[in-house]
Amino acid sequence: MKRSRTAALLLMGSAPLLLTACNSDSEASRQGLYTSVEACVAATNDSATCKQAFAKAQQEATTEAPRFANRAECEANYGADKCTERNDGGGHSFFGPMMTGFFLSQMLRNGTAASGFNSAPAFRDSNGGWQRPAAGGGAGGVYRGGTGTAMVPISATPDRAVTVSRGGFGESAGSRGAGG
Amino acid sequence: MRRVACAERADWRAKAAACGFGFHTIDDAPYWDETAYYAFSLREIERDIEAPTEELHAMALDMVGRVVGSERDMERLAIPEGFRDWIAASWRERAPHLYGRMDFAYDGTGPAKLYELNYDTPTSLFEAAFFQWQWLEDQLAAGALPAGADQFNSIQESLVEAFGTIARSIARPFRLAAVRGSTEDQGTVAYLRDCALQAGIDCEQLAIEDIGITADGRYTDLDDQVIGCLFKLYPLEDLFREPFGRHLPRSGLQLIEPAWKAILSNKGILPLLWEAHAGHPNLLPATFDDGGELPRGWVRKPLHSREGANIAMRLPDGRELATGGPYGGPCIRQACQPLGAFDGRYPLIGSWVVGDRACGMGLREDATPITKDSACFVPHVIVEEARGVLIA
Repeated sequence: MKRSRTAALLLMGSAPLLLTACNSDSEASRQGLYTSVEACVAATNDSATCKQAFAKAQQEATTEAPRFANRAECEANYGADKCTERNDGGGHSFFGPMMTGFFLSQMLRNGTAASGFNSAPAFRDSNGGWQRPAAGGGAGGVYRGGTGTAMVPISATPDRAVTVSRGGFGESAGSRGAGG
Repeated sequence: MRRVACAERADWRAKAAACGFGFHTIDDAPYWDETAYYAFSLREIERDIEAPTEELHAMALDMVGRVVGSERDMERLAIPEGFRDWIAASWRERAPHLYGRMDFAYDGTGPAKLYELNYDTPTSLFEAAFFQWQWLEDQLAAGALPAGADQFNSIQESLVEAFGTIARSIARPFRLAAVRGSTEDQGTVAYLRDCALQAGIDCEQLAIEDIGITADGRYTDLDDQVIGCLFKLYPLEDLFREPFGRHLPRSGLQLIEPAWKAILSNKGILPLLWEAHAGHPNLLPATFDDGGELPRGWVRKPLHSREGANIAMRLPDGRELATGGPYGGPCIRQACQPLGAFDGRYPLIGSWVVGDRACGMGLREDATPITKDSACFVPHVIVEEARGVLIA
């Protein structure tokens, strides 16, 4: 079969389109960084998902954690006693930080979690910042080639800043829009 | 490849309304047209559309790698100097991309010929990925199509998979923006947001005109949150030259499509591809335009033009066709490959690439050989060819 097995829409058509930045009340998603399954359950009241997300993150931590040739290099980045020796399965060993938390994001529909979730291991660096691996997914998916194990910071709270001006984009658009 | 007349679903307008497809009729002219469909064999789809799309996509990405290392090529593509290093860096970092559409001339008789890449702001996505899919399911259920009919269209599945794959490299907060006044663009972005949400990515939509700037050159949404990643259904080259554009390279803003797509959404990619792969069966001869008189059998297109605007065509018999529009600047020339006619209509194949996968197709047909924004979207099916049996 060369077509999608199913194609459903979550929100389109079900609600009038609101062009505001902050209308994530009834739907949208829930994201959190948790240091334990218990902390996750306390926040989400969803024990099954928290356990699954933790297990999946722990599994990914062994393959997606940053890799260092020796313990000292790893500890310089992640702190004393925060690193462990791992094996890549091919007989090569390396050092990587221990998973210190996990990230969970779920879709919410009318306040309850929809099926499916996204999780990732989180690591705390020696400055106290949280990170998680960047894009996962090896070859064979919709993207050709893997994407390495770059780390991206997790920012728990959105960054707010004073806007000094608006309207500096969009003047080239005709009435028919900009796509083609 | 055949064009087959068929009865519309009686309730398709209600179905369009129910799923938020607000632009099926544009300025009182029909855009979604299900009074006919195009039928392809599986072999035509796999050999003539899917495989060439994957191959050309790989060739195009290789070309990006070459162009970012060449001042001369950047110059030929008229990429503004102040943005070149930033574009090159976005390629080195492999800033994630989401989707693109190749337009092909194809009539079932020879190789599909690439007209252009729409790799920055492709539209006609919702109607190809979702509404066309729903049409097929409905018509199969109603017995209006041959049993077992299929469609080259796993676009939505691929979009959700792509968002899921790049979810962790999308900086938050994630915002999607399009021009406020365009129902079509807003609909396309609403659909992409839906796909992102299905992949578990929290995101909101805003008008491109509402984006704000801070004193230190970062971009904000209406809630004054600094935007982490912006999906913009708005041409990169327009962002570059507008008042807020100069902040882009140092703003820290992640863009989807990323900055390196400026090389592929530029029609200058066509002569570059021809120079590197002259004679490729899916490419048309192309050169950079020197401004001279257009010879017979050639088409002139601006480096940046959309929806078939500002195209000049000199047919092999000397007749000239041209479309108006707002675009100017440097042009390319491409060998004229007229679209095939089916029942007096000229279908253009839009072949979708999500991530790096060729995953679907949408056809737009116009009453003239130049496909403009007046073209109608017509659904397609894949049917097995009758073998020695005539099915009336």
